[in-house]
Amino acid sequence: VKRLFLIDDDPIFVYLTRKIIASTNCRSIIIEFTDGELALRHLGEISHQPELQPDVIFLDLSMPVMDGWEFLNEFGLVRPKLKKDISLYIVSSSISPQEVERSKSYRFVTDFLIKPLERGKIHEIIGHPVS
Amino acid sequence: MQLAPTSPKEDPIIRQLNSPKWSDQKGDEDFNSLLLLACRICAVPTAILTKNVTGGATFIAKAGDTPASTDICYSLSLAGDDAAPLGQLFLLGKAPARLTDDQKSDLSLVCESLVSLLRAKSGSATEKLDRQKAFYENILNKLPTDIAVFDAEHRYLFVNPGAISNEEYRKYIIGKDDYEYVAYRNRDISVAHSRRAKFLEAKNTRKEVRWEDSLRDPQGNMITHLRRMFPVFDDHGELTLVIGYGLDITDRKIMEEKQAALVKQLSSRNTKLTDFCSIVSHNLRAPLVNMSMLADFIEASEDAGEQKLLISKLRPVIDHLNNTFNQLVESIQISQDLEIERKDVCLQDCIKRTIEGLQPEINKLDARIELDLSAASVINYPPQYLDSIIHNLISNSLKYHYPGRKPLISIRTKKEDSKIVLSVSDNGLGIDLNKHRDNFFKIGKVFHRHPNAKGFGLYMTKTQVEAMGGKIWVESMPGQGTEFFIEFDNRIKSAS
Repeated sequence: VKRLFLIDDDPIFVYLTRKIIASTNCRSIIIEFTDGELALRHLGEISHQPELQPDVIFLDLSMPVMDGWEFLNEFGLVRPKLKKDISLYIVSSSISPQEVERSKSYRFVTDFLIKPLERGKIHEIIGHPVS
Repeated sequence: MQLAPTSPKEDPIIRQLNSPKWSDQKGDEDFNSLLLLACRICAVPTAILTKNVTGGATFIAKAGDTPASTDICYSLSLAGDDAAPLGQLFLLGKAPARLTDDQKSDLSLVCESLVSLLRAKSGSATEKLDRQKAFYENILNKLPTDIAVFDAEHRYLFVNPGAISNEEYRKYIIGKDDYEYVAYRNRDISVAHSRRAKFLEAKNTRKEVRWEDSLRDPQGNMITHLRRMFPVFDDHGELTLVIGYGLDITDRKIMEEKQAALVKQLSSRNTKLTDFCSIVSHNLRAPLVNMSMLADFIEASEDAGEQKLLISKLRPVIDHLNNTFNQLVESIQISQDLEIERKDVCLQDCIKRTIEGLQPEINKLDARIELDLSAASVINYPPQYLDSIIHNLISNSLKYHYPGRKPLISIRTKKEDSKIVLSVSDNGLGIDLNKHRDNFFKIGKVFHRHPNAKGFGLYMTKTQVEAMGGKIWVESMPGQGTEFFIEFDNRIKSAS
């Protein structure tokens, strides 16, 4: 079972992402956060419990309180303390090449995904369906 | 005609002529025949002609042999009919102690000829010099630049009318320095200080000094000069003169300023364009993505109940898109509507209207609003913009109040130079500006978890302020509160 963190303030997009993941039949647990700060706080709380740490983080860029970029800066500091190897995907509606370029300066960002998410891509990321 | 024998060794003029030695000089040959004639008449071997100049005499011509020794000398003063002596004729040698009357009368004829020849020569020389002087002065005076020449102590030796047009002042300044001149003209002494500093720089570095200075002319226009001072040295490396000149570069300066303003305007437009691209990318594309994903699911679904649920989710997305779109259109209209009408708006009335509109919220939070509009109570501004600005700032303060703390909102005006600064401060949540300063006024930026936070208000406020040439900035401390400042552009009616 994969643990997924979905950090996005847009409830419709979160709802739709859940639907897509469900439709892939991959077994997963989705934990939602509406901004970077809430996600970061939670990561701090579970830093000694690898079983609760996510396998994959989907991170939106444009969010209130703490946006995706700030989260990336903070996550870079927290990451060495986490016991797990976490894949982090930026998931943004932005089509700006500057932002794609900027995301490359963070070594731990696996990929920059442009919304909408495709089922095939989700499949690829969270693994094989059950039967 | 005076004829008095003297000893050449004691005659001050003959002694002066020995350095450099007169006998080594050739002299003006035009006088040769007259001088020879004088020698013959008086039966002496040598004659010398000198010319009187200020403070002494100069050698002009000689005739005959240079005597090995001269015991005696006749010195004749060459005077005109009325004028002071033009020069002297010296006759050197072992001459008879006395001249006969015939010799004397012959000699006086020779002297008359010498006088007229001297007159003719000196007359033409003066004229030539005068012509040359006039020629060069004319050039210096007609040049369309300021020219001033200083001695090594920074006293004026020359100024042209380009530098000082008034003839009386121009005459006054010769031999004076800038300190005396500013005192005389009752001008600001700082000009003299700065000129002296430049002069000393040129003198001490022994190099040309360049600078630009701007002064207001009597009509109040800013005039800019490119000024230079360069030192002039003699053969021994001693400073003899400093030449200063100034070229009016006001036209160029105005052009440069226009260009700088244009560059600023362009780069500001470029920033706006980049912002706009980011707005389109984030704020318009996001709801479009949601809509297209929803449409995909609706198409794929075969369950009528699920379809209905999905369709119901379309509505808020469409509303959001609509809202964002309208805000964008409005902000573009504001930026372009430069003809919008300004009026004198009474701030107190404007704030009162806003407070009435927000009364339920104010009552609910038990908020207090303080006003101090004594510095400026009327602002010349488009009324609907001012309403919108005040509304946005007050409603923000209410929206982002600190939980459990009664909101205290304080609205003040201040006058800075000729501008009005309006400030709205609160004791609310505040914000960490170290993190958010760059994004503070951007569209769609939200800093607190609030259901009605959309990130439109401050974006519109900034647009409305900047479209009218104003400035907006913010100071804030998390947990303590926020203060907004708006500086309104120049067009102010004083509070009555």
